[in-house]
Amino acid sequence: MAIVTLDQVTYRYPHTPQPALRNLSLEVNEGEFVAVIGANGAGKSTLCYTITGFVPHFFRGEMSGEVTVAGLATRQQTLDELMLVAGLVFQNPSNQISGAKFTVYEEIAFGLENLGVPPAEMRPRIDRVMALTGITAFADRSPYALSGGQQQRVALASILVMEPKVLVLDEPTSQLDPIGSREVFETIRAMSKQGMTVIMAEHKLEWVATFADRVIALADGGIILNGPPAEVLTSPLLNEHHIGQTRYTAVARLAQTAQLWPVAKPLPVTLDDAEAGFRTVLGAG
Amino acid sequence: MADQLSLYVDRASPLHRLNPLTKLVLSFSLVLIGFLGPGYWLPTILFVGILIPLSFWGNIGNEFLQRAVRLILPLVLFLFVMQSLFYPGGRTVLVRIWIISLKLESIQFAYLTATRILNMVGAFLLLLLSTHPSTLMTDLTRRGLPPALTYILVSTLQIIPQMRNKANTIIDAQRSRGLETQGSVWARIGALFPLVGPLVFGSLVDVEERAIAIEARAFKAKRVKTSLREVPDSTLQRQVRWGLGLLTLVLIGIGLWR
Repeated sequence: MAIVTLDQVTYRYPHTPQPALRNLSLEVNEGEFVAVIGANGAGKSTLCYTITGFVPHFFRGEMSGEVTVAGLATRQQTLDELMLVAGLVFQNPSNQISGAKFTVYEEIAFGLENLGVPPAEMRPRIDRVMALTGITAFADRSPYALSGGQQQRVALASILVMEPKVLVLDEPTSQLDPIGSREVFETIRAMSKQGMTVIMAEHKLEWVATFADRVIALADGGIILNGPPAEVLTSPLLNEHHIGQTRYTAVARLAQTAQLWPVAKPLPVTLDDAEAGFRTVLGAG
Repeated sequence: MADQLSLYVDRASPLHRLNPLTKLVLSFSLVLIGFLGPGYWLPTILFVGILIPLSFWGNIGNEFLQRAVRLILPLVLFLFVMQSLFYPGGRTVLVRIWIISLKLESIQFAYLTATRILNMVGAFLLLLLSTHPSTLMTDLTRRGLPPALTYILVSTLQIIPQMRNKANTIIDAQRSRGLETQGSVWARIGALFPLVGPLVFGSLVDVEERAIAIEARAFKAKRVKTSLREVPDSTLQRQVRWGLGLLTLVLIGIGLWR
């Protein structure tokens, strides 16, 4: 059952000649993990802002078409009502720290305080998301004293504690080192396994291939590919639109050119696929 | 580098446990009485007889005195010297050196001004050392201070050090490209633009992202906000606050009447 629906959405930011999204239609089912890929400027961030209602409520501009999240038409709702159904985590970890709180524990409580949740109800919710995101040890520390990966997990926990139905992430690891990225991806995977609907814009295709149920490729504000990771991430269209490919696909393509990998054999997108594929084609087992 | 500008010193003391509004009212009362109350020695009495004992009651006596000496003493000494030497009125000349004469009235005026400032800064120092900014703002918001104003006040304490860190990064980046940030005044002025530009534009981007971040946390929700921090208050403290307010008015009245 679709929890997010975009129907013929076109959006243009104020004072810009070209639309950032063009006639975009999309459905995301409840519990699905959808990755959105695309070159810079393809419309990934705008799509994230549109699903969460920041487009058009925060950014203004011209929008046509309909966006529905958990039965709420985003244009007809206020942002705070939408935040209860769709949470947004974005790129820069330190800019997502509110600045209003002095400890990580209080930082996570910030959203609940704004929603008027009684303190007795807050504590178990905060404890739960802190355990889930692995930041319990930082409870009494200043959010600004944490590393980028830790800050991003605080940002994630601060959204998760509000218990949205859909989690939207806009390149959450783009400013993190490999260890920080892994920490964040593992947390998102844990959320997904618990049944949360996740929509994540991401450049790191190896991670996308590992975690996503479905991949959507954007170019010039429209969807060019939409399907399972193994299908989308091996499409030649990705290179045409400067999206790239996973290193496993790239190596297999080279092997294909050298006639080591049969043309009829699907290209791998994960390490496991590649390992199994090469074992087969090289006759090693 | 400090992550925030807060002066708060965490101690388990009766002063720390007082409601922030009680301490705020006390601070304002001491400042107003010091400036407008009767008596030449009143600011000195307030500082020595009330502020210093209260700081030790709050287990922050050493921090209070250290900060008072470091922050206020140079300013107070400067003021004292300037006011003593250049006070326009007064007749009782104590010492005359060339065209400068030191008069009794000028020393008295300088002493009063200096002790008033000492008392004012000391009163707020006591409040800031013993009250966590978050507790103060939570209590004031509960009493009707607009949340947006509270946010600006608290976030400033934390965001300014972040901007300072960013400025240092920009300075390092520009230096690594050969920009001269040290040396003559003109070299420093010339270096200002390449440093200020990225800081200002970067900060503007940060402001937009931070606005999205707090909107994503329902900051503008039209609901009655709650607080994780529970700030205790009592009938006795309410009575003390009213009493302090009344005492302040009476002492100001006496001071103005005389």
